Amino acid sequence: MLGRLLGRTIPETSVGRRASTKRPGAAPAWALAVALAAGLTGCGGSTAGGGSGDAWEPERPVTIVVPFAPGGGSDVFGRALAKGIEEARPDIDVKVENRPGGSGAIGYSFLLSKQADPHYLIPSETAGVALPVTTDTPWTWSDFTPVMQIAEDVTLMVVPKDSPYQELQDVVGALKKGGQVRVGLAGATGLDAIVTGLMEQDQGVKYRRVTFDSGGEIVNALIGGDIDTAMLNPSEVIGQIKAGEVRPVAVFADSRYEDAPLDEVPTAEEQGVNVSFTQYRGVFAAGDITDAESAYWEETVRKWTQSPSYSKYLDDNFLRPVKRPHDEFVTYLKAYEKQLQGVLG
Amino acid sequence: MDGVFDNVLLGFQTAFSPANLLYCFGGVVLGTFIGMLPGLGSATGVALLLPLTLTLDPISALIMLAGIYYGCQYGASISSILIATPGDSASVVTAFDGYPLARTGRAGQALATSVIASFVAGTITIIPLMTLAPIFSGLALNFGPPEMFALMVLGMASVVGFGGGTSQAKGLAMAAFGVAISTVGIDAQTGIARYTFGQVQLLDGIGFLGVVIGLFAVAEVMAQVGRGGAEPIRTRMRDMLMSRRDLREISGPTARGGVVGFLVGMLPGAGATLASFFAYDIERRVSKKPERFGKGALPGVAGPEAANNAAANAAFVPTLTLGIPGSGTTAVLLGAFIIFGLQPGPLFLREQPELAWGLMASFYLGNLLLLAMNLPLAPVLGSLLRIRYSLLYPLILLVALIGAYAMQNRMWGVWLGLAFGVIGYVMHKYGYPAAPLILGLILGSLMEKTLTQTSDMGGGDLTIFFNRPIALLLFALALVLLLAPYLVKAVRRMRPAPTSTPPDGPADDAASARSGDEEMTTLSRREDG
Repeated sequence: MLGRLLGRTIPETSVGRRASTKRPGAAPAWALAVALAAGLTGCGGSTAGGGSGDAWEPERPVTIVVPFAPGGGSDVFGRALAKGIEEARPDIDVKVENRPGGSGAIGYSFLLSKQADPHYLIPSETAGVALPVTTDTPWTWSDFTPVMQIAEDVTLMVVPKDSPYQELQDVVGALKKGGQVRVGLAGATGLDAIVTGLMEQDQGVKYRRVTFDSGGEIVNALIGGDIDTAMLNPSEVIGQIKAGEVRPVAVFADSRYEDAPLDEVPTAEEQGVNVSFTQYRGVFAAGDITDAESAYWEETVRKWTQSPSYSKYLDDNFLRPVKRPHDEFVTYLKAYEKQLQGVLG
Repeated sequence: MDGVFDNVLLGFQTAFSPANLLYCFGGVVLGTFIGMLPGLGSATGVALLLPLTLTLDPISALIMLAGIYYGCQYGASISSILIATPGDSASVVTAFDGYPLARTGRAGQALATSVIASFVAGTITIIPLMTLAPIFSGLALNFGPPEMFALMVLGMASVVGFGGGTSQAKGLAMAAFGVAISTVGIDAQTGIARYTFGQVQLLDGIGFLGVVIGLFAVAEVMAQVGRGGAEPIRTRMRDMLMSRRDLREISGPTARGGVVGFLVGMLPGAGATLASFFAYDIERRVSKKPERFGKGALPGVAGPEAANNAAANAAFVPTLTLGIPGSGTTAVLLGAFIIFGLQPGPLFLREQPELAWGLMASFYLGNLLLLAMNLPLAPVLGSLLRIRYSLLYPLILLVALIGAYAMQNRMWGVWLGLAFGVIGYVMHKYGYPAAPLILGLILGSLMEKTLTQTSDMGGGDLTIFFNRPIALLLFALALVLLLAPYLVKAVRRMRPAPTSTPPDGPADDAASARSGDEEMTTLSRREDG
């Protein structure tokens, strides 16, 4: 198809190209742009899968709006995406803009103001669906165009190295016997709080929730003995796991990790707790864009997900390669929202 | 431990390669300029310039980022002193005495004091960071939510006297106002939005930087314009140099500030800010002329400046040994580690010695470059205040409002700054001090957070404070701080000789309250034991 055809021709030139697009090498860049445009229109005409007919391409530089401060998970995602788009489409300029605030609400509100403008993308995750459920925001996820899901992040339950709890049933058992287990959570509506809520519903138990601002504070409290257990993303705690300061007890997903050291961590389901809830990472575009514009972005992101830089991004951040194209992503988000309303609403 | 020397050597070899020297230099220059912009502190500065470094190899990038970090700190002090507009929360205190000094023609000395105190504390505290980091890392772990809450209470107790000569009631009212403002926005504990009136902009709360820019820069310009006829300073450049007496005066405060800064700075959260407030309070209490504080005392600049730079180093203790960020800026730096594919954590020092030690050695280098750059510049920058005010004021407003915008790339910050400018003007007119408001705003949300966490830890039962010796000790200190003036007065009235009152307690308390420095050393001694 169209994507595969372009995908084959571009990577060979793309390395040299990226260096030369900067300034003096305008001629080759321009030449490629023409070739690319020709290729696009040519293919669009000949393939049936093109859909709505006219192909679209960005007319201006594209902005990736990161709704959190630099350095966080969404920022890392946004920057990897920007690089990925530039690799997949060497002739377009991508800039990353951080618009942090309101647990992400400010960034999404900004995207809301760019309705029908296909030059804005947002690296989205659970907050994009969860925030409107708990807070009065002027938008919900359905005001935007879900382009594609590119990965999922998983919650691990960890305990300090000298904790009496060896497995998940020890923790749940202690709670059922009327004991108190303090769990550290980052924010009251984050992924970890959602998973904890689902676990409480599933097992009919109640944790003592202690809420912190960030994963770092939680790790500090966990090692310092102020909390008994914590629910964290692997990337937040892998350093401490490798050093043996904390022990992972369960992973809340359908399957285990494939690589060491997390491959030995059993899923919650294996341990009799029926909770599997992951955090999606996906790309949203502004709302009300045309089918052709949406298709262009889906194709671009898909191309990135077939590249080595994508695999590196996943490996560095302990993400899982779960991809959902537009249609599936929308269905998934609908179910996701319903589930969140059950826990948080 | 015998590897330490080799490691330090390795670090210096890495940091002193010509390319890394250049990146460090670029970092400190950029950082200084960013830091000088009001509202842009080190966390924002590092975050803003992070993308610039993404093309470099990890060690060069981290060295450049560390340079930016230190540059921002030095830069933030410059705007704090010259135009009373701190770049970040840790340099708010610097403005208390730095700005009055500048207004009386001693801007050069104030700037030089800040540079020297920062340099001395910044370079000396690298030594404990390099050699004793693993030992100190335990300290941060001992500070859970109950201890942090007690520390906030101590901070609040110390600020009550900050009124700068005005009434204590006004100071308390302003502190309460600050705490009230801090409750706006999404409450992290419950996820519920408070006092936002359906405004998305308010979900994030009222950030203290917008408030600071309004209360200090905008209100100051309005007050000066309102008063009219203010004259620019006329000090000649050669009168802006430090005298030997000035140097002697700041040596004690620098040492005390450095110690306090390093100890308090290790605690995650508001380490550097709290440290600078404590350092200021200590100087005010040990000073023979406490009445000069708030009106232009060099020790009032030296103490906090030494403290915030020592705290910047201390923040790396938990960052490098535990992989837990010790401050907002180190959190951003940890994020950078991950972008570069490095895994911060307890094994970092062992697995990446070249990088970790190279980074620490670059702190040295950065401070040295900043001293060499900023000390000669101090009188030059100080002379900026000789510009005619009809030119200077619009410039200050412009720079302040750009800073307000740049905080989060939105106009909201500008409106916030202007609104608090008006509030600040009214406060100024009626003698309400701004400092307690700022501290209330910063500490208010932290106090609430840590109190809720403590309560959650105990399942709603606050008696768990009684099982936490460090917390109890801090509470006792806070009580002493609050009662000390009355106790001293009462004891003096009872008997002319202040020695050996029948019950040992009050006399001891009064003595330790007189010297805040002693408090800190007893504090650390007890924690070691």
